[in-house]
Amino acid sequence: MIEALLQTLLNGAATGGVYALVALGYTLVFSVLGVINFALGALFSLGGYLTYLLMGGAISANGALPGWGLPLALPFPLALLLAAALTGLASLVVESVAFAPLRRRNAEPLLYLITSLGAGLALVNLLQMLMGAEGYAFPAGALAGLPAAVVVGGARIRSVQVLLLAVCAAAVLALTLWLEHSRSGRALRAVAEDATTARLLGINSDAMLRLAFLVSGGLTGLGGGLIGVSISLPGPYVGIGYGLKGLAVLVLGGLGSVPGAIAGGLLMGLAEALVPGEASGWRDALAFAILFAVLLLRPNGLLGRRLVEKV
Amino acid sequence: MSTPLLEVRDLTCRFGGLVALNRVSFAVQPGEIFGLIGPNGAGKTTLFNLISGLTPPSGGAVLWRGAPITGLPPFRRNRLGLARTFQNLRLFDGLSVLDNLLVALQRQPGESLLGGLVASTSHRRAERQRLDRAGQLLEELGLAALAERPAGTLAYGDRRRLEIARALTTRPSLLLLDEPAAGMNPAEKDDLCGLIGQLRSRHQLTVMVIEHHVPLLMRLCDRMAVLDFGERIALGTPEQVRHDPRVIEAYLGGAPP
Amino acid sequence: MIDNGLLVQMLIGALLGVSVYLPLAAGQLSLATPAFYAVGGTLAALLSTSWPALGAGPDGSLPLASFLLVLLLGGLLAGGLALLVGRLVLRLQGIYLAIATIALVEIVRVAILNLPFTGGAIGIFGIPQPFPTAAGYLLPALGLLALAGWVCQRLEVMPLGRAMAAVRNDELAAGCMGIDTTRVKLTVFVLSAVLAGSTGALAAHFLNTWNARQGSFDTAVTMLAFVILGGSRSWLGPVVGGLLLTALPELLRPVGDGRLVLFALVILLGPVLFPQGLITPALLERLGRLGERAVASDQRPSGEGRP
Repeated sequence: MIEALLQTLLNGAATGGVYALVALGYTLVFSVLGVINFALGALFSLGGYLTYLLMGGAISANGALPGWGLPLALPFPLALLLAAALTGLASLVVESVAFAPLRRRNAEPLLYLITSLGAGLALVNLLQMLMGAEGYAFPAGALAGLPAAVVVGGARIRSVQVLLLAVCAAAVLALTLWLEHSRSGRALRAVAEDATTARLLGINSDAMLRLAFLVSGGLTGLGGGLIGVSISLPGPYVGIGYGLKGLAVLVLGGLGSVPGAIAGGLLMGLAEALVPGEASGWRDALAFAILFAVLLLRPNGLLGRRLVEKV
Repeated sequence: MSTPLLEVRDLTCRFGGLVALNRVSFAVQPGEIFGLIGPNGAGKTTLFNLISGLTPPSGGAVLWRGAPITGLPPFRRNRLGLARTFQNLRLFDGLSVLDNLLVALQRQPGESLLGGLVASTSHRRAERQRLDRAGQLLEELGLAALAERPAGTLAYGDRRRLEIARALTTRPSLLLLDEPAAGMNPAEKDDLCGLIGQLRSRHQLTVMVIEHHVPLLMRLCDRMAVLDFGERIALGTPEQVRHDPRVIEAYLGGAPP
Repeated sequence: MIDNGLLVQMLIGALLGVSVYLPLAAGQLSLATPAFYAVGGTLAALLSTSWPALGAGPDGSLPLASFLLVLLLGGLLAGGLALLVGRLVLRLQGIYLAIATIALVEIVRVAILNLPFTGGAIGIFGIPQPFPTAAGYLLPALGLLALAGWVCQRLEVMPLGRAMAAVRNDELAAGCMGIDTTRVKLTVFVLSAVLAGSTGALAAHFLNTWNARQGSFDTAVTMLAFVILGGSRSWLGPVVGGLLLTALPELLRPVGDGRLVLFALVILLGPVLFPQGLITPALLERLGRLGERAVASDQRPSGEGRP
């Protein structure tokens, strides 16, 4: 009984960790550019598929090149990290194609919504063309060496969830340390705070923006690989769902707030996990119902700053 | 003494730890031109924001014709007869000059949504009345030639006058002018002075003016209040205020006038 | 190619474009249209398949009057929902409003997916038809579009329409000029919902089946693309955008699997190449002047006869 509860809480925290990763992906770009990157969901899917391929997985019968696989089979940790890095690079491509042209002509924020979604849709459909629309399960030996379950305080819980949570926590920790203590991280925060002053201080805000996109893509790709290995990849549109949840978490925690994204993600994950099995179909609505309720009470999110309009 | 048109009683406004207004009280009589002066940051625009309903007070009350209007949203205060202009000009830049005025003209009694959709007689009559009234105001403020131009393309002086015209469209009893002469040269300021006086008599207005340029207000106002650091440090006729030692100190740091 | 079925779908696209356009014209970035579309369609599907009073025949036919009634009811239900939700949601500004409406779309989608009477993942099928062929739907769709266009056109010379423009330009100043901004925003929100709901009811019958997938987040943004790419300054923009962007995936069919990628690229490049959309303010002005000249040339002969 206590075992079931612990497992549930752990599941929730692990999922929440992934939501937090996606939300952080949004936060980084939002804090520097002030707009939401709607291609992030597609990058999530990309991360998942890249991890699969880098582990030696083969394209299914529905894909463009059935049976084809990369001529290498990396162990999971390496594949995950490499996939995340590659997704970060893909994010840079998205920036140059969907954001940079609009920035050059000072377009209004609404247009970024459209172009980033267009980029995301293009990516998802490319993935579908290449990999097919069917689900992918990761190679059987993916987590070789990891015991199926771990005993904590007398209860057995699935170790893959522990892994998920551990990786998310490590990523969040690394991100926070980087933002607080490294030159580039602090420069990024400076640009987020006040781009003009940052430029006057000699910080290249364009480079910082691209750095934000790179890290944002990396975090999200990491999430995709983690979900792929722990559950599976039901299809190229998997990222859209996580992208939306991540968006809900972003607003829940307060736009542009890193601690808010983390707290919001955990909250969301735990709340979903606590939905009883019979009502599991409603689980997806819970995240948005929570978001709705929070926005009505606190229009700027849990930890967001109140914007006061100057008259 | 008749009921004042507007009264603020012990009006206080706090933003976090900062006290922007501290127990400010005065009354504005119908028909007078009432000035509000004070150094930068004294709380003048904040006071206007409280009176027009954009900011809620932390204490005290705003009374309109003797009745408190706390909690009334800005649009209700406007319908009671209170109109304002803004220090930083808030025109509807994407609309034409004429449309800026038409917007402020509400549905007439007897005119319905459905009537508008089918272009009923009552709607067309109301439209004609709106166009007439807007046209009159444009003439009066010297903007008739610019009626079709987008408001965002006007010269600065014309934009200032358009703001005033727009506020007048709502048939106010009290007009709040927030730094109407900002950015004007002395000749333009003179014209504005004359204009405000004319508007007061032609439209039976009471006017409250915030201004930096003190000599302008000295000429224009019947009475004035002086704010400094959120407190009212003087109240009276321009003559009285000019010789008030607290005012002299606030503006000139203690040197004789 | 463009057959009657595609034409009807294009008209549905245009209708949904106008529905998204309306709140935007009042400065509200609301993406709630798919939710109301789904609600209207679901109600229509339920009523036509399960309400005997409507007179659905054993051959799958439906009397025209019943069809029109269902269109009206779909719009009304959507409008009612908008009235309830709008009061709460319209207090939010900018991106928060957008995301709250996205949340609404998702909640409605999951609700329709999970409620016991809405058919689950498969949805409701075998919806009775008021017309034997797709061509029959052209007239109601055009009629609905004409109605929507007429309302939008009239709004421009009505206090409500001007209030909408004022709120879009500067909500704060609009309030100070005596405009009840909450009421304006809510009215527009409800109008948009009624249009989406009626369109949903029409679409449900046209498509013969209806499920939860009809209203989802990516359709919300695609509809927004109709407005942005078509031009957001007038209702003609979303009509053109809706017609073109609905036809595009079909017209690209010969390209094969890559067509969805091409479609996405159009959405990606559109705002870059046409920042003001296709129906630009300049174009509108020219169209307006053409209209004035046409009216003037009508009037000249009678004028010249006067002494």
